[in-house]
Amino acid sequence: MIVAERKPLDEIIGMVRPFKNILILGCGTCVTVCNVGGEREVSLLDAALRVAITKGMLEEKVISQYTVKRQCDKEFLTSLLGKAEEIDAILSLACGVGVQVLADTFSDIPCIPGVNTIFMGAQPEMGVWDERCIGCGDCRLFETLGICPLSRCAKGILNGPCGGSKNGKCEANKDVDCAWLLIYDRLERHGQLEKMRQYYPPRDYGRLRRPKRVTIL
Amino acid sequence: MNGARSQRLKTIDRTLMPPCQEACPLNQDIREYVDLIAQGRIMEALKVIRDKNPFPSICAYVCPHKCEEKCRRGKVDMPVAIRALKRFAVEFGGDQMVRTETENVYEERVAIIGSGPAGLSCAYYLRVLGYPVTIFEAHREPGGMLRVGIPEFRLPKRMLDMEIERLTLMGIEIRTNTPITSLDLLFEKGYKAIFVTVGAQEGRKLGIEGEDTPYVMDGISFLREINLGMKVRIGDRVVVVGGGGVAMDCALSSLRLGAKHVEIVCLEKEEEMPAGKDEVQICKDEGINIRNGFGVKKVLREGNKVKGLELIKCLSVFDENRRFNPKFDESALSYVDADMVIFAVGQMPRIPEDFHLEVGRGGTIKVDPVTLTTNRKGVFAGGDAVTGPASVVEALSTGKKAAKRIDDYLRHRYPFEERSEKEPLSSEMSQKTIEMIRKISRHEPPLKPRDERVKRFEAFELVYNWETAIDEAKRCLRCGMGAEIFERDKCASCLTCLRVCPYHVPYLNEKGDVEIPPSDCVACGICVSECPARAIFLRKPSDRRQIETELYELKNSIPQKGWPLIVGFCCQYGLFGTGSLSSFYRHPKTGIHIIPVLCIGKIEVEHMIRPFELNAQGVFIAGCGEKQCARDNTEIFARRKAEKAKEIISYLGFEKERIEVFSSTEKDMEKRLDQFIEKISEMMLSRMLKEGR
Repeated sequence: MIVAERKPLDEIIGMVRPFKNILILGCGTCVTVCNVGGEREVSLLDAALRVAITKGMLEEKVISQYTVKRQCDKEFLTSLLGKAEEIDAILSLACGVGVQVLADTFSDIPCIPGVNTIFMGAQPEMGVWDERCIGCGDCRLFETLGICPLSRCAKGILNGPCGGSKNGKCEANKDVDCAWLLIYDRLERHGQLEKMRQYYPPRDYGRLRRPKRVTIL
Repeated sequence: MNGARSQRLKTIDRTLMPPCQEACPLNQDIREYVDLIAQGRIMEALKVIRDKNPFPSICAYVCPHKCEEKCRRGKVDMPVAIRALKRFAVEFGGDQMVRTETENVYEERVAIIGSGPAGLSCAYYLRVLGYPVTIFEAHREPGGMLRVGIPEFRLPKRMLDMEIERLTLMGIEIRTNTPITSLDLLFEKGYKAIFVTVGAQEGRKLGIEGEDTPYVMDGISFLREINLGMKVRIGDRVVVVGGGGVAMDCALSSLRLGAKHVEIVCLEKEEEMPAGKDEVQICKDEGINIRNGFGVKKVLREGNKVKGLELIKCLSVFDENRRFNPKFDESALSYVDADMVIFAVGQMPRIPEDFHLEVGRGGTIKVDPVTLTTNRKGVFAGGDAVTGPASVVEALSTGKKAAKRIDDYLRHRYPFEERSEKEPLSSEMSQKTIEMIRKISRHEPPLKPRDERVKRFEAFELVYNWETAIDEAKRCLRCGMGAEIFERDKCASCLTCLRVCPYHVPYLNEKGDVEIPPSDCVACGICVSECPARAIFLRKPSDRRQIETELYELKNSIPQKGWPLIVGFCCQYGLFGTGSLSSFYRHPKTGIHIIPVLCIGKIEVEHMIRPFELNAQGVFIAGCGEKQCARDNTEIFARRKAEKAKEIISYLGFEKERIEVFSSTEKDMEKRLDQFIEKISEMMLSRMLKEGR
């Protein structure tokens, strides 16, 4: 799932300043799940901007709010077409994908990102998100038994561990488990430790070339 | 998604019928009034009670409270003391001042024979509908069994008098000392419909040897004589035979009349006794010995005096079809000494033959169970005369039903059985939820000390004080009022509800959808305030909108000049439960606006920020405190949200200290609150100085 975080409020205030009529647009999928862009956050941001107006940090504005199921498909955005005429800017709380589809759909209206999209990840505990995939296009999770060294190792090395692994923790961040130690433990549990001796040739970096496009039939 | 449709959906009442309401013959909104009592809104609670109960002050004393038996709190610890809470609402809500306005709408006069609870209730509802009603009572004073069958210590006569006076003020005519012998005469006099509710006033006897000895009485005559103020002779050693409420009343009355030793003999085992558990307990507390599992073979006499009873062991009371069919062990004889015996083994009605009504088993009038019609046109019957001895609340319920059926008859309508629109809460609470619910012991209504109460025929049960009543009402689990995923299409299946629920109620079903079973949810509202998609709502519309409405009111209120506006979200349950906040609420300090919330777990981050838009200088949240909260850890959720709110206001140029969370049971709560207010004032002052410069 795509994970995003809230943009600092002062940055948002700075971006919306020139516009009079603003629509805050939430997205009902990934950013709702990570609690930064769902209906609740839309309404919270609305309240916060209104306080900013009262405080004189912003000039008088017309703020409206709406949440669509998904902003990354323009079909969901068509319901906004009628309203778009009066709007000066859309403050989108969707991930970067959503903001771009929105901007393409309403090419005459400035679209402002309200969140920072950061990674694809999972929630190990309530309210905490960890990166789990970098979208490298060359998945090797079979060899590592479901632990991705590219997203979970600070160095992203394919033949680990490096010399910096200490007490099972990473030298770059002592709060983070060493991904290669996790791989080692899991291989041991599955009786496949010989895979540790195997050499992994360098990855196909050609697949990381951007912009990526894929055709799926 | 957030258009007019969802606005409309938000106003729909989606609550389910709780088991207590289902069990009540009058179908009273018990959960609603208990919740209102918990919030300290006693007048409103009484209004809810009055809505479906014509005589709440009578029920407050003598209702056999079937609702408490069904109360699901009983599975957790003990049921909520619903009857005692009603008594509290009646006494503190000013029931005595309530007057029901009525006027004559229809011309058809209705006669009611008998002024017992069924008759009074029927008269009340017919009068509300606009019929001229006359009640005929054979005795000197109206009230039927309420007056002659229930001792003063259970139902003070002044309560009954008050209710009857209210009826006469409504324009109901009550003719006492008027026994009716013929129904034809009433029809001739112009009454268009008659409701026969003559009760079951004839005490049954067992038909055993020695029953006709002096000092052997039947229970109902015994109580009647006491209640009518006659001089009743009492023995030293009294034995009451029977296991029902009348038997208990006879035993307690005997003690109060001066009997030295009172004993109860009954067929049933203790758990089978028809009398209420609390009634039995009171008898035991007053030193009355109860012999369970014995039948009476004969009354032993010495000359013309009672000497005692010969008892036989009772093996079983009911047969396999749950019918009354006692089996005895004739060989196991035992004896009990007595110089007076009271048989309280049931009553039966005596229907005058000239009524020409068809009489069935046990001398009761035969009626159609739906329409309450008898074999005679225009004659309806109900109450004990139809069902045999039953409780007051059941009589009130038939009275109400009779009023509707008589109305249908007189208006030539098809009698439709009324059905509640609310779906009953069907399934049981899961064990997991039961374990997670905080155990809080039941507050029994206080009783007068034993030595004091056995001497007089005075009501011995006292009323709760405010604090206990609110604590008791807070124990209600608010069954069927909980959260629901209201707008399925919004749910992103983020599982936040599943993770935040303190009671482990939401779960993922086989299809991968989140479900919140209504039978488990206790309506704490935490998932509602956390759901990022805002797909979850509480089932009761007023619960959903309450904070918004209050904030709207604040917006429209006139700001206090010169004082910093401080908004306090205070737990409504705690507001009245603790002294510190209640004084604060009633005399708001200038510039402080209190928004009562039903548990601080329901406050959302947005609510904490919105007051700043209305120029508030500070916001505080005061919960009812860990100790008196009916739940565990609600404050943690409020504190977490407050942290987020602080973060947001810090971006808006406010100091983080402007938001604070208290709990009202903290010892120095008032001091801390004063400090907070002082701090906010200082901040405002320094800001004004800065801006002035």
